[in-house]
Amino acid sequence: MAEDKKEKEYLEVNEEGFLVQPDKWNEQVACWLAKTQEGIEELTEDHWKIINFLRSYWEKHGLAPMIRLLCQETGFSLRKIYELFPSGPAKGACKIAGLPKPDGCV
Amino acid sequence: MKKIKIEANQEQKELTGKQAFFQNIDYSRALQLSTCVRCGLCAQSCHYYLTDREVKSIPAYKISLVGRVFLYYFGFQRKFWSWWLGSQKLDSSNLDEWTNILFGRCSLCGRCSLNCPMGIKIHDLVRFGRSILARLEVMPQGLASTIKTALIFDNNMGIKPEEWVETVKWLEQELRIERGSSSLFFPLDRFGAKILYAINPREAKFFPLSLLAVGQIFSEAQESWTLSSFNYDATNYAYFLGDDKLAAKFFKRLEASMKRLGCQILVLTECGHGFNAARWESPGWLGYRPEFEIKNVLEIVAEYVKEGKLKLDPSRHKLPVTLHDPCNLVRLGGLLEEARFLLKKAVTHFVEMTPHGIENFCCGGGGGQLAMTEFASQRLKAGKLKAEQIKKTGAKIVVAPCHNCLDQLLELNRFYQLGIQVKTVCEVVAEALIVG
Repeated sequence: MAEDKKEKEYLEVNEEGFLVQPDKWNEQVACWLAKTQEGIEELTEDHWKIINFLRSYWEKHGLAPMIRLLCQETGFSLRKIYELFPSGPAKGACKIAGLPKPDGCV
Repeated sequence: MKKIKIEANQEQKELTGKQAFFQNIDYSRALQLSTCVRCGLCAQSCHYYLTDREVKSIPAYKISLVGRVFLYYFGFQRKFWSWWLGSQKLDSSNLDEWTNILFGRCSLCGRCSLNCPMGIKIHDLVRFGRSILARLEVMPQGLASTIKTALIFDNNMGIKPEEWVETVKWLEQELRIERGSSSLFFPLDRFGAKILYAINPREAKFFPLSLLAVGQIFSEAQESWTLSSFNYDATNYAYFLGDDKLAAKFFKRLEASMKRLGCQILVLTECGHGFNAARWESPGWLGYRPEFEIKNVLEIVAEYVKEGKLKLDPSRHKLPVTLHDPCNLVRLGGLLEEARFLLKKAVTHFVEMTPHGIENFCCGGGGGQLAMTEFASQRLKAGKLKAEQIKKTGAKIVVAPCHNCLDQLLELNRFYQLGIQVKTVCEVVAEALIVG
């Protein structure tokens, strides 16, 4: 808990729980975002596979990948991704991976 | 509020508040602005007012902002009683208030307009207020960037053409694997198909389950349909901005796809504002009626079920299901029965919310609210009414035929811990489908 408070001091999230400064992201931040914003207590290996892919894609292209690419690159089925991130890939997975909020109806 | 230019190439000189107002006003709106008698009935119909009880949230107050400026520039009494009537210039002193209220405290749901005894289209006047702000290039960042993306690409999520084509192929494979049948198709650019299906880019980018469902339904009904490889976006964010010219431009893209592919019916995905914009608003923007029919996918699917083209097994859904009526589809769009008819056929336990139908409360996500992060906390607060409505029904699955609503409902689920699943109508129908 003490650690959580410390994190909060320097990490700012916007009103929807997305990081204000995406470059401040690291693995610890991901755990904290998962717990406080998405209610995911522990990030498993499967979670990390998706988070790492999202992160590296975003760092390269500056936007979130299509769901197709996410499924094909990680080898998970659509349903599995929804199981891992109940708020879905946009609001759940992208948020934990520290991406900014995508535009449009999300 | 910072100034944001949407169309970078447009060399337009900066307008004053007065010029912006003059350019956008018309007789019908002028008449309506002078009609409000401040009876306050609209307060009881607004989900913003009912959740925060602030004067700023009363619809009559929202349009009084516009009304006061109208009086300043047009009212014949303005010279004598200006101060007494509270008339106001439109300048930098009140732009912030305008933005915070007209963008931040209204989801253009139209419930106030329905309950107004004077018949004022309050939501349209709020849109009118927004259009003046848009002229002055004052608007929330999120909405502006969504529209900018839509202008640069052919969709509001910046999906590249090759990514979309790949996605369609992948969806076809996924559908075949999932349903174990090789006779399921996702036709792309099929010339002369009867139906052109326009999607919400959100489906292709993040939430393809609804697309899979529609693909299966069309295949099962043996419909002649197609997707377009470009200009396929059913959404129209310019509608939320009140910018009719831009909205017409977005609609013309769909029109171009219809012509290119020679289709007869433009079928829009489960998208509230997209349907309202295309079906009811577009003739006003274009100045003519489109030559083709415009329908929502719910109408088409309901027809299939009535004609016996689809057979549904309701016993697969035993959990209680409720329906959220999207404002733009039901109150403003007129599709009252289709979704209920389909759900009653596809589930065993259907419960209605109170109130429902045209009197239904907005989920809080309409009017472009989901794109405007700056007002997110207000949006979630205003969604409390919907969260309570859902809790009262005891439903475990909430169905909403609108992607904007779906997102807001997902957020409400997290914020108010409702413990629900959120689905589109087509997803529920596809799950209940008897194949064969």
